[in-house]
Amino acid sequence: MKKSFIVSGVVVAVAAALPFFLGNFTLRSATDILIFAILASSWNIIGGYTGYASFGNIVFFGLGAYAAAICMNNLGLGFFPALLLSGLVGAAFGYLTGLPILRLRGHYFAIATLGLAEATKALVQNLGITEGNSGMYLPIPSLGIDASYRFFYYTSLGVLVILLLATWLLLRSKLGYGLIAIREDEDAANSVGINTTLFKSTAFSLSGLFSGFAGAIYAYQQGFIKPEPVFTVASTVKMIVMAVFGGIGSLWGPTIGAVIIEVLSNVLSAHFLVIHTIFFGTIVILVILFAPKGVSDIFRGRRKVGVAYFLENIRKNKV
Amino acid sequence: MAEQRKVILEGKGLTKDFKGLRANNEVDFTLYEGEILGLIGPNGAGKTTLVSMISGSTSITRGDVLFKGRSIKGLKPFRIGRLGIARTFQIVKPFPHMTVLENIAVGAMFGRRGTRHSARQSLEAAREITAFVGLEKVRDDPADQLNVASRKRLEIAKALAMEPEVILFDEVMAGLNPKEIDKAVDLIRQIRERGISIIVIEHVMKAIKAISDRLFVLQHGEKITEGPPEEVLSDPAVIQAYLGKRYQQLTK
Amino acid sequence: MFTQVLINGLLKGGLYALMAMGMSLIWGVMNIINIAHGSFIMLGAYATYWLFSQFGVDPFVSLPLSMAMMFFLGWLVQKYLINFVVQADIFITLLLTFGIELLINNLALLFWTADVRKVNVSYGAGNFQLLGTTVPAVRLAAFVLALLISAILFYVMNRSRLGRSIRATSQELDAAKLAGVKVGNIYAITFGIGTALAAAAGTLWSILFPIDPTMGGILTLKSFVVTIIGGLGTMLGPLIGGLILGVVEAVGTNWLGSTYENLISFSIFLLVLIFMPKGILGGRD
Repeated sequence: MKKSFIVSGVVVAVAAALPFFLGNFTLRSATDILIFAILASSWNIIGGYTGYASFGNIVFFGLGAYAAAICMNNLGLGFFPALLLSGLVGAAFGYLTGLPILRLRGHYFAIATLGLAEATKALVQNLGITEGNSGMYLPIPSLGIDASYRFFYYTSLGVLVILLLATWLLLRSKLGYGLIAIREDEDAANSVGINTTLFKSTAFSLSGLFSGFAGAIYAYQQGFIKPEPVFTVASTVKMIVMAVFGGIGSLWGPTIGAVIIEVLSNVLSAHFLVIHTIFFGTIVILVILFAPKGVSDIFRGRRKVGVAYFLENIRKNKV
Repeated sequence: MAEQRKVILEGKGLTKDFKGLRANNEVDFTLYEGEILGLIGPNGAGKTTLVSMISGSTSITRGDVLFKGRSIKGLKPFRIGRLGIARTFQIVKPFPHMTVLENIAVGAMFGRRGTRHSARQSLEAAREITAFVGLEKVRDDPADQLNVASRKRLEIAKALAMEPEVILFDEVMAGLNPKEIDKAVDLIRQIRERGISIIVIEHVMKAIKAISDRLFVLQHGEKITEGPPEEVLSDPAVIQAYLGKRYQQLTK
Repeated sequence: MFTQVLINGLLKGGLYALMAMGMSLIWGVMNIINIAHGSFIMLGAYATYWLFSQFGVDPFVSLPLSMAMMFFLGWLVQKYLINFVVQADIFITLLLTFGIELLINNLALLFWTADVRKVNVSYGAGNFQLLGTTVPAVRLAAFVLALLISAILFYVMNRSRLGRSIRATSQELDAAKLAGVKVGNIYAITFGIGTALAAAAGTLWSILFPIDPTMGGILTLKSFVVTIIGGLGTMLGPLIGGLILGVVEAVGTNWLGSTYENLISFSIFLLVLIFMPKGILGGRD
């Protein structure tokens, strides 16, 4: 345990030092990776640990983005108050919608969350306060250009570190055990005294909190948001794939997945955009077929990794 | 015996209807503090349904369940678990990827005195129970790697860890060999010595005869008799209910 | 006026029903939610478009052809991709079909560009009067065809040997395996039928509305809504669900405005999921 603490510490320290070595453009890409890492790790709380695969987590991101826009634009708040409120909006929305929706299981839950994301997007497209489809502007940060890039990088890094710390603490707490118990066998969890409704909603709410933060950071960084990019379902898929690829149910897994997939994506989108998505689609298919437990499982070292590992995955899941 | 025995759990007129099928009909039962009540009956008699109604997993169509005098009808399973009634499942439900210790600790975390324990304290408390049921050797193994007998013990241990006042055992001896059955009987007796009142559903006649203070017989969802084991097992109605291959075991 | 709205809704609803039928079949039999469903609708639409614009084949004539093509494609996809993950966690199959959707949509974008196309049949503008409302001829034809195809599907599923095998496999997988049913093949055929139905819907869609490579996304979602409203596991479910969705959308957008269409559909979706997850024909939860 001490060892992984030190390793984590080193990783964070290195990440904190990066802005001094990277140019602005790369820094921006790194910030995007951090935002995806936040989304994937947040998803992991409800999808990985609790076992409720939400396909609509993007809704928290979008709500966070719009909450930030409204707070800063219409209410004249500063960024950090807006950031906080965006997270709270995500958390509250997660808790409230979680209560009815988390009663559903498996497929039904997955598509319910899809429907939730789409319904929210449709709502935002029709509301006056969110300027419908025209989009909303956010104030421009009053920092210099270099300072701006660093500001967003460090804010994202900070949120990610807090998220990972929170998850780490969660896993040691009764809530964490309860969530995993729910994933392992929900009926047994109920019988053993776990208030599954409360716990599930809390997990959903937590993932909403941090995804909301991510949305706020994104919105402020972009300066302008529209319903389509901040509510795309494809982004939920992206965060799930990152979590799966990196290893769900592992602390750093989603972050690793985010890094690898984003870096590969960017390398390929030096060519045209459409090829990049085709590549992404193919990656999804390959990962699912051959390594559904993700990369972390491979590095856990307890098993021999070779062609046999991948073939075993296929054989286990084949009809 | 003129002892005043306290009733800890009572069922009154318990009835359960599934679509078009009445699984239990007006079943009354009494569980006294510190006793082991055996619940027997042929397959499909409604034993598990009755237990599920008590534990809250299945809704009660009509009737009531009183725990220490208070109705627990309509309460959610987790609430009933926290009040002090634990149950095991006929088809065991371990948390497959958690270790044996963690499985048991979860019971301690959320059971009757759960609010007094942190996660770490629960893990500590679980060690004693792991030893009590004889699973120390596999304490750190994932639950899905256990054999049948160990899984049954784990199921019992999880229930125990909840520090219940009542445990409902649903066929914990199914699939065990005679030696394992003897050990299970011992274990259940020791559990009673801890002050826990027990209802045991069982098909293994030898075992149920050995541990039960009283027997309670269900057939087609209805109670046909209850009383001391020797009486019940020589009751012609009970023998009739079982017919054929059970007859020999009952008259042993 | 209201009758006009109602008729419009019903006509569109028939098309929705056909769209959802394929998804409902695949979901009901194999417990697979095909996120790429809309992509197959799109492919059917494009198949019709190319046959029409390159070879002048009338869409109603090329309907069986596009169905056959998509049957084959669907069969391949199930047999050589999805069959490998059928036993895994549900969200694994969801992710796989998502990957397939991304792949198909973006290949389509690559080859056909994002330009919007339309199948402009010469009789496209024709309409006639019914009960004081104007009914576009092609819409009515599409509606009738949708019902016809549904009836054929119903017949195949309930009266043919293939249909019986499929239903047996869906209801009792282990028993079917023991009885020697080649489950992998049955699944592949079922998926193929599902995508063929999607293609039929796509063909009809292409006659009525403009098409583009990204049209599938929202249609997949609408198919969900229809399937959920009607309830899984019955052939009648998508029909009822489709008609209801069509009518509610028509009435709703007439009252609130056309931009509210999606909001209406997804709100119903959520309400049904929360209060009546088994749908209208599936019974109460």
